[in-house]
Amino acid sequence: MSKYTIVSPRVGTPGDEFDLDLAVKRGANVEALLAGGFIKVSAPKPAKNAKKDIDTNEE
Amino acid sequence: MATTTYLSNPDVTVNSIALTDQCTAATINRTFEALENTAFGDTSRKYTAGLQVLEVTLTLYMSYAATETYATLNALVGTTTNISIKPSSAALSATNPEFVITGAYLETLPVVSATMGELSTIDITFTGGTYAAVTAGP
Repeated sequence: MSKYTIVSPRVGTPGDEFDLDLAVKRGANVEALLAGGFIKVSAPKPAKNAKKDIDTNEE
Repeated sequence: MATTTYLSNPDVTVNSIALTDQCTAATINRTFEALENTAFGDTSRKYTAGLQVLEVTLTLYMSYAATETYATLNALVGTTTNISIKPSSAALSATNPEFVITGAYLETLPVVSATMGELSTIDITFTGGTYAAVTAGP
């Protein structure tokens, strides 16, 4: 699951996790928060046993 | 003489972003459309409430710096968001309620509003949505 983090002090304490569920519940436009740089999203870490995609094309 | 007055100094939040330090005027208007229900036998016109119409008007200093006015509003044009206005920064209470508009639509954003020799300000208006007056935290 992606993690949302506060970037701007206008939204909360920078570095704290952004409560996405609460924001959506309150009617916030999360895409606009991301576009404006107020919060950031980090991709979920792959599972330890996940297979890596290996490019076998040697051309 | 007024027994109780209030020096304007509200907390203003748009899309969960605190904009108090950029805002110089804020107005929320609640209107219920007046539907006429006058009938024969009445001697004056009568009305009943129709749909509620909400309108929030804000005057903001314009700033194009990171996470300031333009960054807050640019992605909101043509979409809906939430707005919260509290009379003061004090804790929520019956005498300091937070007025929350959810699903407010921003139709227009003046991306440039410049006058020689003046600080740039913009007036924006959100319309529609649902209204709540919150007097206690979750």
